[in-house]
Amino acid sequence: MLGLLLAIWGVAGLCASSVDGGSFDLQAAVDNAESGTTIHVPAGTYPGPLVINQSVILVADPGTIIQGDGQGDVVQVHAPDVTLRGFTIRGTGKSLDRENAGVTVLAPRVLIEDNDFEDVLFGIYLKKAHDSVIRNNRIGGKDLPLPRRGDGIRLWYSPNSLVEQNTVSNSRDVVIWFSNNTTIRDNTVTHGRYGLHFMYCDDTVLIGNHLEGNSVGAFLMYSRRLVIKDNRFIRNHGPSGYGVGLKEVDGVDSENNLFAGNRIGIYFDNSPASVDMVQHFTSNVVAYNDIGLAFMPSIERNVFTDNNFIENVEQVAVLGSGKLKKNRFTVDGRGNYWSDYTGFDLDGDGIGDISYKAQSLFENLMDREPKLRLFLFSPVQQAVELAAKAVPTFRPPVKITDEAPLMQPVAVTISVGSEPPAWPTTTASLVLLLSASGLLMCGMTGTLARPSADASLVSMTPQAHTDQPEEATKPILSAQRITKRFGRLTAVKELDLRLRPGEAVALWGPNGAGKTTALRCMLGLIRCKGAVSINGFDVRRQPKKAKRCVGYVPQELAFYDDWRARELLGFFAKIKRIGRDRVSAVLAEVGLTEHASKYVGELSGGMKQRLALAAAMLADPPVLMLDELTANLDAAARESFLNLLCRQRDIGKAIVFTSHRLREVETLADRVLVMERGEVVTTCEPRKLAEVLGLKSSLRLWIEMDRLDDAVSQLRTEGFEADRNGKTVSVKVRPDEKGKPLDALLAAGIGVRDFEIDSNESGSQGRRVEQGGKR
Amino acid sequence: MSPRTIFIIARKELRDALRNRWFLFYTVAFSVLALAMSYLSLAGSGMQGLAGFGRTTAGLVNLVILLVPLMSLSIAAPSLAGEQERGTLAYLLANPITRFEALLGKYLGLSASLTAALAIGFGICGLGIAANGDSAGVGVYLTLVVMTFTLGFAMLSVGILISTLTRKAAPAIGMAIVVWLCLTLLSDLGLMGSALAFKLSIQELFSLALINPLQVFKMSVLHNMNTSLDVLGPAGIYATQAYGRWLMPLFIGSILAWIILPLALASLTFSRKSIA
Repeated sequence: MLGLLLAIWGVAGLCASSVDGGSFDLQAAVDNAESGTTIHVPAGTYPGPLVINQSVILVADPGTIIQGDGQGDVVQVHAPDVTLRGFTIRGTGKSLDRENAGVTVLAPRVLIEDNDFEDVLFGIYLKKAHDSVIRNNRIGGKDLPLPRRGDGIRLWYSPNSLVEQNTVSNSRDVVIWFSNNTTIRDNTVTHGRYGLHFMYCDDTVLIGNHLEGNSVGAFLMYSRRLVIKDNRFIRNHGPSGYGVGLKEVDGVDSENNLFAGNRIGIYFDNSPASVDMVQHFTSNVVAYNDIGLAFMPSIERNVFTDNNFIENVEQVAVLGSGKLKKNRFTVDGRGNYWSDYTGFDLDGDGIGDISYKAQSLFENLMDREPKLRLFLFSPVQQAVELAAKAVPTFRPPVKITDEAPLMQPVAVTISVGSEPPAWPTTTASLVLLLSASGLLMCGMTGTLARPSADASLVSMTPQAHTDQPEEATKPILSAQRITKRFGRLTAVKELDLRLRPGEAVALWGPNGAGKTTALRCMLGLIRCKGAVSINGFDVRRQPKKAKRCVGYVPQELAFYDDWRARELLGFFAKIKRIGRDRVSAVLAEVGLTEHASKYVGELSGGMKQRLALAAAMLADPPVLMLDELTANLDAAARESFLNLLCRQRDIGKAIVFTSHRLREVETLADRVLVMERGEVVTTCEPRKLAEVLGLKSSLRLWIEMDRLDDAVSQLRTEGFEADRNGKTVSVKVRPDEKGKPLDALLAAGIGVRDFEIDSNESGSQGRRVEQGGKR
Repeated sequence: MSPRTIFIIARKELRDALRNRWFLFYTVAFSVLALAMSYLSLAGSGMQGLAGFGRTTAGLVNLVILLVPLMSLSIAAPSLAGEQERGTLAYLLANPITRFEALLGKYLGLSASLTAALAIGFGICGLGIAANGDSAGVGVYLTLVVMTFTLGFAMLSVGILISTLTRKAAPAIGMAIVVWLCLTLLSDLGLMGSALAFKLSIQELFSLALINPLQVFKMSVLHNMNTSLDVLGPAGIYATQAYGRWLMPLFIGSILAWIILPLALASLTFSRKSIA
């Protein structure tokens, strides 16, 4: 029974030790076999190195491993006509000098197929092994830095060989040197340095190979009559990064290949090298490379037809100075497809009516100074091109011309891979649009118009304001030695102000006196010297707390005009942390309830003034600051507004305001600070302001013509400054005594038909005109 | 500092931006151009798995570099200056908010509005590409989106700084356009000229390019697209080899610096500014 079993395995009676292959001695089996014998190797791990000196056929069971000792080759083939099939070969040494390989073949006609190579420096190394076949092996290199790796497959003086359907990854190169008439077919080489490296291999055929992610796809050198067909050179992007590099090769015939995503699709260096050779490139796709075709300047005699040049960053580059010539891009009235062609096809024959020209100043610059590629995809690139188009002097020479460019890409039969699903894109785009919608909703919804109610924050009146006895002695606003300079101009000089609850103080003065600046200093809007505290909070150090105690009405009513009145108050209510009920309350308080839904821009000046006051009163602050408080109001509105402010003062608000108008000051203020050139020149009661300032009003009186002189005399007798002024009498009086001249004339029996008041209330500080009525 | 107050200001700024006709114009312009560019990038390719977002992204890089800084700068520069000119800023600051809250709120509001505009543009563009059947490199595309947002935020930051340095909208916009021209064109032209005239080394050229946020944006997107910067020639290869895995953090750090530093400077300037 045992003998029968051994006979089935091909070699009877060969029993020796193995690592765990039972009693089968592989080396002994090989050594003792006769030439041509087939040896079936049972599954197990066998020690390397295995030296094959007989022309045997070794067929391994699945799971058969030849384990090297990490010191040299794993298998050495010294005999011709050997077959090595189905092994896992691993564990070579790491010596690049000794070229440690998984299988080193030193004899011809060897077949190596269906093997797995793991952890090998070199994979399969044919040295002078002509007519050999390397088929369907999977070769994985050692985990070493690229320069220290070996070659996945190396053919050295091994002509007439066939290398097909192998998969090589993470090795250094696949090298085919000095091996004429070799066929490289349907191999996949990834993540190495040179997917294929040819030297001196005439009459070689490359068909259906897939070379991806290497530093260079294939570098073909010093060879003649090469057929390159149906290959895919993809994403080879190292420092050289050629899909295919051609150096001094002759007679390349390239058809139906894909060169995509490489740094350079096809690189030409002195190819063809012989003057009598022409190379043909037909029906290839050169797409999405940084450079589609790169030529050294002396390159000639390459013919390109029916190729697709699609979206290469630079379709054609001439590396170095010199003009490219004698390469043809049109044969028999048919050229290539160029994705950047901007011509037209009026006759509809599929051929562009104007020629395609690769001509770009920026590309020329890049070709001469490669470091300028840094500026690719920058606007400066377009600027340079624009300059070249606008100024003929800058226009670069044409690199190549295709006289008959194709309007549509040529149909190709290259399989790139499975199409990825579209759902991630759709999902990502929908998420983006939903996010945008969310933001738009956030900005568009009327939440600003509906501030959140916070009962605890409805009234922000500070405690100090409700504590009347203490406030009676303690100022709610204190400004000490406020000084503000704009360059050489002193806008405010050492202003002192103490304001108590229920007190109204007016800052009086002409334009430029510093009133507005003083208010803004007190609000902290303008940096100044001195100290300001509001309700005990330092404006500079505790700005939020201080400003929470102030309602401010500016001179120039600047609102967001495209907001509705209620919306605006809602916004400020949120900032002040006031409940929504308060918005309606203050609108009612200032008489704007029926205008609450109007846009601010639609409100009259008076309404805006009231709206400003409403905003100022939102938080029920203890201090109101008003800049030119009735500047935008007519006479009736002014009275109403003053009454409103008087009520606020009477309920305990402290008010500081600026004004030109004597009447306002007299009505509202308890105290007046008269300012001139930034300085407080005097402080007085409002009723004494006119006297202090020496203000006089001028009255013009219409009297019967025959009583004009009598009237002047009578007025002078009464102590008035009176003069005849044509058909009228002009009288100077104190602003608060404008009725007295009339009384004096009436008492003297002189009738006054009419009068007009020219008021000069500001005395030397300014001039205002008030129109009086007629009596 | 109150996040609530900042949020209120940001929301107000977002609301104002959405009502601004420029916002509408920029949103439509960006969407249309992005869609057109992606369509043109895909047209005639027929190479599923090789074209798609990679090439679209490359085309969009140019569009983003031109349009997004212009959008950001031109909406941010007049934001504070315009309000100051109209007097609304003084009025706003007379309320219980700090200047930093106002500035940050405005910045965040503008950022939100810009994000909305760009998201609409990219969303429409993405749907267009998906409808075209191309979906390779969606990760690259999303990286482009995120990096565009950050570039926009950086430019907003610069715009806000400009806004704090000026008192009126018109000079602010003028200054913004000058800055835009410098960043998009003049600095690159200057660098190109210097590279040729002074024979700048690759290291020097790359280091100088890192100063320009637009270049940084471009390089970061290209790096993500190709997993290297080889497409940018020797300088790109140098960057890939010299910085390796730290290249992307370097880019992100540079853009973040362009967000933080101008904003910090703007805050400092704004805190010392007299609001007249």
